[in-house]
This record gives sequence, C-alpha cells and structure tokens, in this order.
Amino acid sequence: MFGKFDKNALMLFTGALTFFLIGGLMTTVLPWITEKSWGNPVAGLKEYSDQELRGRAIYIREGCWYCHTQQVRTLESDVKRYGWRGVDAPISLPGEFTRDKPHLFGTRRIGPDLARVGGKYDKSWHRTHFNNPRDLVPGSVMPPFPWIVTSNGGKDLDDLVAYVQSLGRGRDWRPNHDYEQ
Amino acid sequence: MTSEVKRAAVSERGPGEPTAMGFIISSIVFFVITALVGILAALKFVWPEYLGSMSFLTFGRMRPLHVNGILFGWLLAADMGLVYYVVPRLCGNRLWSEKLGLITLGLFDAVVLAAVFTTLGGWTQGLEYAELPLPLDLGVTVAWVLFGVNIFATIATRKHQQMYVSLWYIMGAIVWTAFVYITGNFATELFSGVNQANLNWFYVHNAVGLIFTPIGLALAYYFIPKAAQAPLYSHRLSMAGFWTIAFIYVWTGAHHMLHGPISQWLQTVAILCSVMLIIPVWTVITNFYGTVKGRWNRVNSDPILKYLIAGTTFYLLTCFQGPMHSLRTVNAIVSKTDWIVGHAHMAVLGAFSFFAIAGMLFAVPLMVRRPLYSAKLAQQSFWLMFTGGLIYFVSLWIGGFIQGLQWNNPTIPFIDTVIAMRPYWIARAFSGVIIFAGVVLFFYNIIQTIKGGVKPVAAEPRTA
Ligand code: HEC
Repeated sequence: MFGKFDKNALMLFTGALTFFLIGGLMTTVLPWITEKSWGNPVAGLKEYSDQELRGRAIYIREGCWYCHTQQVRTLESDVKRYGWRGVDAPISLPGEFTRDKPHLFGTRRIGPDLARVGGKYDKSWHRTHFNNPRDLVPGSVMPPFPWIVTSNGGKDLDDLVAYVQSLGRGRDWRPNHDYEQ
Repeated sequence: MTSEVKRAAVSERGPGEPTAMGFIISSIVFFVITALVGILAALKFVWPEYLGSMSFLTFGRMRPLHVNGILFGWLLAADMGLVYYVVPRLCGNRLWSEKLGLITLGLFDAVVLAAVFTTLGGWTQGLEYAELPLPLDLGVTVAWVLFGVNIFATIATRKHQQMYVSLWYIMGAIVWTAFVYITGNFATELFSGVNQANLNWFYVHNAVGLIFTPIGLALAYYFIPKAAQAPLYSHRLSMAGFWTIAFIYVWTGAHHMLHGPISQWLQTVAILCSVMLIIPVWTVITNFYGTVKGRWNRVNSDPILKYLIAGTTFYLLTCFQGPMHSLRTVNAIVSKTDWIVGHAHMAVLGAFSFFAIAGMLFAVPLMVRRPLYSAKLAQQSFWLMFTGGLIYFVSLWIGGFIQGLQWNNPTIPFIDTVIAMRPYWIARAFSGVIIFAGVVLFFYNIIQTIKGGVKPVAAEPRTA
C-alpha cells in the first residue's frame, strides 16, 4: 500500500505531514490543554520585581543557564544535594515557574543547580564569587565576570544578586536559616 | 541507477550550479570558524580565566556561537547545498530556479553572519537552539520557505516518476522543519514556564530528529550506493524506515525533562517512543551496511566510503545511546553530565557531518569536472577527524558517567566532582585540536579542487 507513495509526491507530502502532526499535537497542544498545573502558579509565588527582572536579563545575556540548571528533580540525590543544613530541598513543581519567560530549566550542570540557591549566600559572597570564583572556590571552572561587578556603578551586580536571591522562594523552605537575615 | 549515462548527462549541465556551490563554500567557511570557536570554548575548562576579562568572549557567549554556528552555519547550509545538488539528479532535470537559489543563499548567509554578532553581544532569546533574536529567526524562516519552494518545484517537474528514498526524506525534512522551527522560535514566545519548556524541547529534539536526521539520511541513501557502486540493498526496508521515523520521532521531546517538573505521562510516552526509535534505526543501518556488503575492500582505498561507513556506525551508536539515556535509571546517572555532550557530538560530528563531508568530496569534483585535489589529503583529514572524534566522545562519556555517579552521592561536595572532570576536559580540548586539523585539511582540499590547484601527488581520478 505504501508503494503508491513513492510515485505520488503529494500523497507522500500529506502522509508525512499527517504522521508528524499526530505526535506533534499530542505532545504539545494536548498537554497545554489538559495539564492545568503547568500554568497555575503555586500559592505564594510573587511576581518578579523590576530589579529581579533586570538581573534575570543579565543571567540570560551571560549564559549562566548553559552551566546551571534550575530544577530539583524527583531524585533523592537532587533533594539531598541541594538541601540546606539537613533540610531537604523541595522538589521543583511546574507551578513555581509560571512567571519564567524564557524558562531557565537548563540541560547541563557544569555548576550546581540553582533552583533553591536564594538565600544560601550573602551579597558580599556573590560579589567576590562573580569577580573571580576561584577566590572562594579553588578548582572552580566558573568564568570570572568582572564587568558585572564593576559596570553601571555596581547596579548590574545589585540586580543579578537580587535575582539569584529570589530563586526557589516560591516554596518558603528555609525561613530561619537565611544568610540575608 | 544508470550512473554512467547519467553522469554524462550531468557533465553537460552548462552554466554550472551556483546555488549548490555557494552553499557548500559558505558552509565550509563556517565549519572552520565555528570549530575553532569550539576549541576556544573547550580551553576555558582547562584555563577558566583565559579570555575571561572581555564580556563577548565569555563562555556563555562562545558556546551558543559554536552550537548555532555548527548547526546552522555549517551543517544546515552544507545539507542544503547538497540537496540542491542531489535533487535535480534524482529528478532528471535542473534546479527549478538558480536565481531563487542565490537569493536564498544571500539571505541565509546574511542571517548567519548577523548571528555571530548578536551572539557575541549577548543578544539572545535564552532558549537553546533558538538563541537568535526574532528578526533573524524570521530570516531563517523565509530562507527555508524559498528553499522549500525551489526544491518542491524541482520535484514537481521531475522527469522520473519514481521517487528515490532520498527524495522522500528531503520532502519530509522540508515540511517537518517548517513546523518544528516555527514552534521552537515563534510559538515559544507565547508561553512561559513548563509550557514553554515543553515546546522548547519539542524543537530541540526534533531539530536533530526531523531536520538533520532526514537530510543526513537522504544524503547517505544517495551517496552510499554511488560511492560503493552498488544498488541499494532494499527499497522496502527504506520505506519502513521512513514511515516509522515520520511517526515515532516527534513524540520524544519530553525525554529532555525526565525526573523534572513535567507530567509523568508525558515522560513515559517520551521514553516508550525513544525506545521504539530502534526500529527505524535498524532499518537504515541494515540498508547501509547491506549496500556496502561484499565491497569492504573499497572502504580501504576510498576516503568517501570511509566517511560514509564511519558516519553510519556513529549513527548507529548515537541512536543506540539515545533510547538508553531515556530509561529512567540510566537517565538518573547521565542526564545533565558531559556524557550527553559526547553523545551530541557523535550525532552532529560523527554521523551527520561525516555524511555531508562525504557528499562534498563526491559532488564537488563532479560539479567542477575535475578530480578531487588530493585523495591522500582526504584520507588524512578522515583519520584526524575520526581519531579526534573518538577521543572526544570517549573522554566525555567516561568523565560524564563518573561525575553522574558522584552526583548521586550527596556527601561528595559538588566542587570535587568538578575537579574530577579535569583530566577529561584536558583530553577533550586536545581532541578538539585534532578534529580541527582534520577540518582544515578538508577545507583546503575542497577549495583547491574548486580553484583547480595542482595536485602535490598523483591521486587517481574518481570515475565512480
Ligand atoms: C562555565 C560554566 C559556568 C558559568 C557560565 C557560570 N557558572 Fe556559576 N558555577 C559554575 C561552577 C563550576 C560552580 C561551582 C564552583 C563554584 O562555586 O564556583 C558554580 C557556582 C555558582 C554558584 C554557587 C552555587 C552554590 O550552590 O554554591 C552560583 C550562585 C553561581 N555559580 C551563579 C552563576 C551565575 C549568576 C552565572 C552567570 C553570571 C554563572 N554562575 C555562570 C560554573 C558556571
């Protein structure tokens, strides 16, 4: 029966497109309709402030997301590794990311996951770290970002740190052990 | 195929094929440039601070330049150039419009060139494979439509009614790509969070699966029988392979988010379909090896067949790895590590680039009606790319696997797992230099063939 397709270009075209569309629609449009949890923010999720958004833009511009993921997966190792002083990190829920555009889930962990890093370090740590990570963590391969620390009279640094500190706050999981306080 | 008769007809082709040639030349220039960027990026893992004080040379800008440059500047342009070459030959006519082809080339190159600057400048959409800003996406889309119109018009006016399997794959790729690209670069703009990520992975996965795979296979289906001077092993198998790819591939995007914040059923569907991909791969591999069967001695002397057979083997390995990675237990180890980077390089360099290189080594001499400048140089470039590639893949697999195991033990501090990667990153940078040397030799060989340079040693002319 498929023999006909190799003589008739229009049939081949239609067949190939139909096959593609079946899987395409089932995996993109269908979940968008059925998976309500993907679009509903978790309770307590705050909109990004303007400053955090500016910091996020820097994070995107500098390609931090090529080295850092933002997702605590449903794996014991993730939950423990990205936890804090014995407290497990909550698993990331779709509803924590509804305001993220573009999403920054990432694919590669050259550095650690940052989904719950907000509040882990204070600002002076970040300043030193961005200027040259090896000053704090010998053996790190994270690039130095001296221009973030110095440009715009320190405003870029403020913005980026504000964004980093906001990460993972959709679930308030370590209120009492926070470097910011 | 009645190759002798056909070749004679082809050499009467008159004013040449500027579109195919233009795309080929442009692609190999970007191959050299963006492969070099790859090495510069790899060296940052050995010396994290070198080239580190200038924002436009930071890793986060070099990486997208390398990835997009290789995928679009080199591989897609190379594939398009070879499609412009192959389709008229399979249809027994000429390209519908060389003029339209040249406009397409101009537009495509303008986009790729502009992308170098936007990428280094940090102007990005922040989505993998879709980094280019919207105006450039628009340029790519228009170029693709022009390309599609030209190719479909050529096929519609063909002299041979029967369409060889390469033509199916090319048609499939053109249609699928249009949808996949628009979803990944425009539809994503309408969504955020997990909804957007799902579309993003649909695109990333299918960019490889429904753009580079079908065009790469189309080329291999064309050039393997040519280079081996043997008929295709089985037409029936090639049909089975095509329709299974058309149906299954598209379901698998969510396997990039296994264990992540995305619905379980979608993960399971992606895993099942990933595993089923073994079927089309098996049909393709049987067909390619079957065609060369009984002619293995030629592989020794012919660099083109070497590239094709090595490409086929890497394709098999990549497509075996893919389904394995999608199994939840394996995924929990290799996901997010450099294992995946090794895997991706085997697909894009080892399989699809090798097919495109073989196609050029075969086609360019016929287009300029002159033997290849140096078969010896082609052999050397093959061995450099092959050895360098193997070192690259294997070092990252070992390193990535070890790092994955270490991550699964939360008592090991993260930085220790970074330091453990150092020897593998050094090997990777070293292998990059070897691959690059092969790329340069290949580039030189093609350019000399086009310019009609004098051969250093008498290489036997290809009459194949
Ligand atoms: C080349 C990859 C790379 C890039 C690009 C990169 N990082 Fe890192 N990052 C690392 C590595 C490796 C570590 C672990 C060692 C260390 O702490 O320096 C790290 C650690 C971190 C940490 C500490 C995490 C923790 O839990 O201890 C933060 C915060 C961070 N990076 C933020 C950023 C930001 C923001 C950017 C972009 C401006 C960025 N990184 C870019 C590789 C990278």
